[in-house]
Amino acid sequence: MSHNYPALIVVVPLLSALVISVAGWVNKRLCFPIAFAALAVAAYSSVGLLFRVLDEGVIVYKLGGWDPPMGIAYYVDHLNGLVLTVVSVVALLNLIASKKSIEEEFPEKTGPFYTLYILMVTGLLGIVVTGDAFNLYVLLEIAALTGYGLLAMGEERAPLASLNYLYMGTIGACFYLLGVGYLYIVTGSLNMVDIAGILPSLYQSKAVLAAFIICMVGVWLKMAFFPLHAWLPNAYTYAPSAASSLIAPLVTKVMIYVMIRLILTVFTPEFSFNVLAVSDAIVWLAVIAVVMGAILALAERNNLKKMLTYIIVAEVGYMVGGAWLGNRTGMTGAILHIVNDALMTLCVFLVVGNIVYKVKGAGFDDLKGLFRKMPFTMGAFVVGAISMIGVPPTCGFFSKWYLISGAIQAGHYGFMVALLFSSLVNVVLFFRVFEICYYEPFSDHHGHGHDHHPEPMDEAPLSMLVPLYVVGAILVLVGLYTGDIVDQIIQFAIPKGLV
Amino acid sequence: MKITGLIVTILVGGLLIYAAADFPAWSDPNSPASTYLSPHFIEKTMEETSVPNIVTAVLADYRSFDTMFETTVIFSAGVAVFILLRTFRRKEPEARHYRHVLTGVTMRIKEGKLPPSDDFERIDTLWTPPDLIIKTVCRLLIPFIQIFGLYVIAHGHHSPGGGFQGGVILGASIIVLAISHNLRTVVKRMSEKLDAVLCAVGVLIYAGTGALCLLLGLNFMDYSALASVLFVDPIMARSHGILIVEIGVGIAVMCTMVWIYSNVSSRGRYEQGL
Repeated sequence: MSHNYPALIVVVPLLSALVISVAGWVNKRLCFPIAFAALAVAAYSSVGLLFRVLDEGVIVYKLGGWDPPMGIAYYVDHLNGLVLTVVSVVALLNLIASKKSIEEEFPEKTGPFYTLYILMVTGLLGIVVTGDAFNLYVLLEIAALTGYGLLAMGEERAPLASLNYLYMGTIGACFYLLGVGYLYIVTGSLNMVDIAGILPSLYQSKAVLAAFIICMVGVWLKMAFFPLHAWLPNAYTYAPSAASSLIAPLVTKVMIYVMIRLILTVFTPEFSFNVLAVSDAIVWLAVIAVVMGAILALAERNNLKKMLTYIIVAEVGYMVGGAWLGNRTGMTGAILHIVNDALMTLCVFLVVGNIVYKVKGAGFDDLKGLFRKMPFTMGAFVVGAISMIGVPPTCGFFSKWYLISGAIQAGHYGFMVALLFSSLVNVVLFFRVFEICYYEPFSDHHGHGHDHHPEPMDEAPLSMLVPLYVVGAILVLVGLYTGDIVDQIIQFAIPKGLV
Repeated sequence: MKITGLIVTILVGGLLIYAAADFPAWSDPNSPASTYLSPHFIEKTMEETSVPNIVTAVLADYRSFDTMFETTVIFSAGVAVFILLRTFRRKEPEARHYRHVLTGVTMRIKEGKLPPSDDFERIDTLWTPPDLIIKTVCRLLIPFIQIFGLYVIAHGHHSPGGGFQGGVILGASIIVLAISHNLRTVVKRMSEKLDAVLCAVGVLIYAGTGALCLLLGLNFMDYSALASVLFVDPIMARSHGILIVEIGVGIAVMCTMVWIYSNVSSRGRYEQGL
């Protein structure tokens, strides 16, 4: 069966989503076990596939048995093997942690909710595993469509925010498709490796240049790169916890992966960094994204979840900048940060999910006294926060280290300063939250200074805490094993031509 | 804001026109798109898949994996519309309106009581205009629309057509019934549950066929693996495989259209509809 892992990663969740949809009409309690089994198989296959890639190198899987470029093929190399593992593990952990809140928030619609959830994961896994530029678009549509549905299920303002996202996301996906269409016109192929083989003779073509620009802008729209980020904060803030803690860690990161894949495999580093002299300008855009994301987060003084969404905008800037520094260290930092940021974002959004589950809100007013009320949740929050700030031994430190070294190596001190600035802002942001949670008493007890008795502990259920602590442990473990991840995996994910 | 929008539009338009300068000439037989992969499909499709319609072969065999996900996209849209619009907890109105089908007399009946005979149908508005001509014409048309839909699905190998087109025609026939009569008439024939389950079953037929190939020992979606199950040679099995998945697509598309229509037209309440 192991030679079928690439297909199983996508097909098992797809089939399970359909079965869940049927099971939802028969017995709602069947939905969660099926969803769990599907994602467990996907995670197992991803890990198995990653180890096979480490042993054997690139794995090609021909769908339908047709040779590429006639048919569609999956190419699994070190880069997407790593991202696949991250996506499936994050989705699995979040599924376990969100079970309670899904069943509480959508008692009648658990079936459809799990269906959309698993379909979304199918879409994201498919985007990552595929080696076909058009197939990527189709999966992008699935991930986007299910995402709009999931995000719109939240509070009162969620449908409008999600509609906004729908417009922007559709434009982004259309741009990507248009770019692929341009590439098809000039190369006649949709297979990524095949396109990369044909392109060198067409480097001077205006159509290829236009395809590149359109694809990049489309992908930036979908990942909320700074001036194009306006849809993200509201869409993620008002969404239900289960949806936001799935989508916030994964969608932007998968889109970063797509961008890196376009740079490294489709357009080749030679074209992206040498033929086009745009990398410097894009890194400056990333500098603006990092700084603006940090400032917007600093300006947000009402809602913890919204503050975190602005941090995502800043983190997108990290990765875009790192990828476009045009050297090996920067690219390593960007790829490592995909892994780390997905895990850190999952950690803090799961914490928000626990808080919303217990306190029914994530406003700064709701946070008062939380260290006493939910000590275990807040303990995990501290781990996530110091990782986002970038304190060793948590993983956030190491990717930032690579990004900063890359910036110095490229002589791009603006980017280095932006990274340091954003880290300092993160310190301020998170310590402000700690202060509220630790020192300020519960809002109910305001003004009753003398007969103030401590709020009893009211922790989230174990099914939410255990996945959270697993994520917290992974944050530290990934940090400790960064050297191995870089030497064994990421090093091989970057073409040798890039120094 | 308007001016910014205008500037962006002009810039993008300018970029697209600029890029068009390097395109191959219009209908140039030597363009990469016509010389790279097309010759293979034109020359080999018949001997590799025994399907005369090259478009169908590319769609449902060479690039079958894409098509499976396109069907999934439609299914996701159906689920998303359902989860967003469908409302379950709703207060029943105190009085219901019933209309006598033959005479058009409308009566108001208090909660818990039933109309005096079976000739009454439930309506949600006080009055619906007489629609005898529309109803009769639609009754006559629907069977023919459906037969044509089945033909389009079944004949996709040889002529333009296939699961998507046939499914849309079948779905339209049911929506015509819902518009000419009302949504309750449709739900009586095809319940919400059946419709929703069939949506998933349609896609399941497609993905399941692919998975069956995998279980039979070949790659996912390699229909030639079906030869041992269908008792034909591997080339013919590809042709039959395409038909099976087209049927799945047809069911999925038809039911999703009806599902989306029902939820949108009745604002998720499954009442009278439009």
